[in-house]
Amino acid sequence: MSVVSANEIPRPAITIGGVIRAVGFIGLGAIGVTVGLSDVLARAPADVVDFGSPLITPSPHFPLGTDILGRDMLSETLHALAVTVTNAGLAAIVVVVAGGLAGFIAARLPYRIGFLLRGIAGILCAIPALLLAILLIGLVNRGLAPLAAGLAAAPLGFARAFDRARGLGQSRHAEFARATGISPGALLRRDLTYEFRDSFLSIAARALAAVTIVLSTVSFLGYGATPPHRDLGLMIAAARDVYFDAWWTAAVPAAALALFILCARLAAGLEEGERA
Amino acid sequence: MWNFGLRRAGRLALGLLGAILMAAVVAAQAAPAAKGGLLHFIGTVLSRLAQFARLDFGSSAISAAPAAQELAQRLPATLELVAAGSLVAALIGIPLGVILSIGRVSRAAAPLIQIVAAAPVFCAALALLWLSVQVLHWDAQLQGAPDLWSALASGNGGSIREAFRMLALPALTVGAAGAAGVQLALRRAVNEARDAPYRRGLKMMGLSQFEVDRLYLVPQVFAGVLANLGEIALSLFSAAAVAEWVFGWPGAAVLFLKSVALHDWSVVALVLLSFAAITLIAEFLGSLGARALAGIEANP
Repeated sequence: MSVVSANEIPRPAITIGGVIRAVGFIGLGAIGVTVGLSDVLARAPADVVDFGSPLITPSPHFPLGTDILGRDMLSETLHALAVTVTNAGLAAIVVVVAGGLAGFIAARLPYRIGFLLRGIAGILCAIPALLLAILLIGLVNRGLAPLAAGLAAAPLGFARAFDRARGLGQSRHAEFARATGISPGALLRRDLTYEFRDSFLSIAARALAAVTIVLSTVSFLGYGATPPHRDLGLMIAAARDVYFDAWWTAAVPAAALALFILCARLAAGLEEGERA
Repeated sequence: MWNFGLRRAGRLALGLLGAILMAAVVAAQAAPAAKGGLLHFIGTVLSRLAQFARLDFGSSAISAAPAAQELAQRLPATLELVAAGSLVAALIGIPLGVILSIGRVSRAAAPLIQIVAAAPVFCAALALLWLSVQVLHWDAQLQGAPDLWSALASGNGGSIREAFRMLALPALTVGAAGAAGVQLALRRAVNEARDAPYRRGLKMMGLSQFEVDRLYLVPQVFAGVLANLGEIALSLFSAAAVAEWVFGWPGAAVLFLKSVALHDWSVVALVLLSFAAITLIAEFLGSLGARALAGIEANP
C-alpha cells in the first residue's frame, strides 16, 4: 500500500438514500428561493380581490386561474406558500430546541429528572399533535400558532432524542470516558456535537415536515392563519365551497403544500409512509 | 411474560395518571379562581383532581350538561369511525406491506408512496370527496354518521346502500392514514425477520421455505405490527379529527374543536383524556400481543 493511498480519506459512498435526500434539500432550497422572491414573482399583492373575473379557469393570462373573489391563484399561492414556509420554519426551530435538544440534555440530568420529563413527553405523545396544537392555540391566541405547532410536535422529538441519548450514554465510548475521569458535562458536549453534526439536518427536515402538516391542518380547521396573511391550509379551506366546479382553487394550494412536505420528507430520509 | 405484563401495566397506570393530571390542568382553565396566580391555579388543579376521583368531570360551559354526558353522546361515533378506519387500514395496509416487502416492487413503488404520504389528511379527504361527487356522482350534502346497524337490521337495500355511502369516505380517509402505519410496521418486521439467522438454521433442519414462513415469519410480522399499535391508533385518531370535520361526522373530535373555540375547558379536558387513555391502552395491548406472539418488545 502506498503512502498516498494509506493517507487518502475514504470518499463517502453515493447511495440511493443519499441521492434522494439531496433531491429533498435541493427542492427545499428551490422553495426557499421562490418564497424569498414571492413578492417579485407574484403579479398581485396578497389578498387583492377582483384582480380578474371570478373563477377563471387556468389560461395563458391566468396560468393557475382565479378564485371566487377574482384573486390571481398563482400570486395567492406564492404568498400563502411564503406564510406557510415562514411559520413552519419557526415551528421547526421550536421542535428542534424544545424537542431534540431538550430531550438530549434531559437524558443526562441528575436525580432522574430526565425520566420524569420523558414520562411527561410520553403522555403528551399519546395525544394527536394536531389536537395538542389546537388546545395550545385555544389557550393563547392564533398569532402564536407556529409556537403552538412546534410545542405540539416537540414531545415526540423529545422522546426520540432522550432515548437516543440514553443509548449513547450506555455505549462503550461513554463507559470508557467515565472510567478515564471525563466529566459528564464534557461527555454531553461531545455527544451533542457529534449528534447534531450527523443528524441536525435530518432532524430539522423531519420537524419541518411534521409542523407543516400540523400548521396547515390547524389553518384548514380555522384555528391558524388569518386573512390577509393566508397560508396554504386556509386557502384550501376557503376553496371548499367552490372546488367541485373550480378544482384549481383547491388543487393548486394543495399541490404546493404536498410538494413542500414531500421535499421535507425526502430531505429527512423518511421511509415511505413513515409519520414525520 | 408475567413480569413483562406487570411492568407494562405499571407503565400504563402511570401514563393514565399523567393523562388525568393533564386533563385536570386543562379543566382548571374553566375556573375563574385559577387566574389568580400560581397558588390559586395549583389549588384549582387539585380540586379538579378530587372531582375526577369522584368521577365528576364538570359541566359544559355551553350546554350546562355534564361533560361526561356530552362525551358519551359523541364518543361512540368517533369509535365507530376509527373501527371502520382500522378495518380499511388492515385491508389496505397488510397487502400493501407484503407487496412492498418484495425488494424490486418496493423500490419501484417508493416514489409514489412518498408522494401519497406527503399529502395531509385533509387534502386526501377533499380529494376523495371531489372524486365521489365528480366520478361517482354521489351527493356532497349526504353527510353525517349513518345508523348502520339500524339500516342492516331493516334489511332495506336502499338504506343499507345509503348508510355505507355515508360511511365510505370518512372510513377511507381514516383508513388511508392508518394503512400507512400498518404497511410500514409490517414492512419493517418482514425486513427484520427475513434476515434473522434462525431462518437459515430451520432450512438446514429440513423445513421448507413455506413452513418456516408460516410458523415463524408470520407471527413475527404480526407481532411487529402489534408492537406499533399505539402509533397506529394515534394516526387513526388524528385522521378521525380531520375526517369528522370534513364529512360532518358528529364525533368527539368535532366536539373538541368546537369546545376549544368556545373555551369549554371541561369538555376539552375530558375529550383529551379519553383519546390519551385509548391510545395508551392500545399501546399496552399491542405490547402484550407482540410479546405473546413472538417475544417482541414494543417501542419504549
